[in-house]
Amino acid sequence: SSGNMSTTSQKHRDFVGEPMGDKAVTALSGIGETLGKKLATDGFDKAYVVLGQFLLLRKDTEMFTEWLKDTTGANSRQAVSCAQCLKEWCDAFL
Amino acid sequence: MSLSGKSEQELSELLDEYGIKHGPVVESTRRLYEKKLKEAMAKGKPSSDKTYYREEEEEVTYVYRTPVRSEGAGDYEDRSFMSSRPGWTEREFEPEMSYSACIRSKPEYRERSFVEKPSTYNASIYESAHLRSTPKKSAQAAPKAPKSSRLIPLWVQFVFFLAVAIFLYLVFSNMETNESLKGIE
Repeated sequence: SSGNMSTTSQKHRDFVGEPMGDKAVTALSGIGETLGKKLATDGFDKAYVVLGQFLLLRKDTEMFTEWLKDTTGANSRQAVSCAQCLKEWCDAFL
Repeated sequence: MSLSGKSEQELSELLDEYGIKHGPVVESTRRLYEKKLKEAMAKGKPSSDKTYYREEEEEVTYVYRTPVRSEGAGDYEDRSFMSSRPGWTEREFEPEMSYSACIRSKPEYRERSFVEKPSTYNASIYESAHLRSTPKKSAQAAPKAPKSSRLIPLWVQFVFFLAVAIFLYLVFSNMETNESLKGIE
């Protein structure tokens, strides 16, 4: 697994370890129920749609983090966690 | 400047100007990019430093400058020598090339220091320029950076070369040993 053992949770490892398929947005690391609902309201109801946004931002974790914070009100920890999760997923599967 | 009134294309160009790495400006990314642009504009940087070549950075190519010197004898020969080499077009000597060092080194190597040390500069220029054959008689001439057209017509260079060759012949033939005379004849 990655070197960031202190920051990756089980949720992260679960997500990064396999294709995301149709997983809900709340499967993403850092995205809990509240953020998940907010994202779904904006049309990001599946993890892969959020992935789409990440890809549009050229897989730039900083940009994505900022976007997530602006769009959902996520805090830094949550946003960074989600970005990192997506980045690693892309490294493995994209 | 109202960013929201700008087209996606315009925003994209602005982002480039400010050196902001970005993806497509589409509906879901536009707001973020406008925000980034506002921040960048507030900092007032018209262009990012990153897009510029710094003078301190080493240039890979050859640094030739227009020496502010009188036309010394060796210069012409160098020029003909250099222009006779394939692939060495005058373009490579454009003075627009940064004067920073190409010679694998010191960023401090500026034009002024060249003037003071023509021979060392010359030597290392030849090294880094990968000129394999020796510069023959012109060991100490500093390289000249021709402008887009020749300062000295090629035929003049040839004539001069010939003159030097004849001169050397005369010197050679007036040497004391007989063998050399015979050898020449």
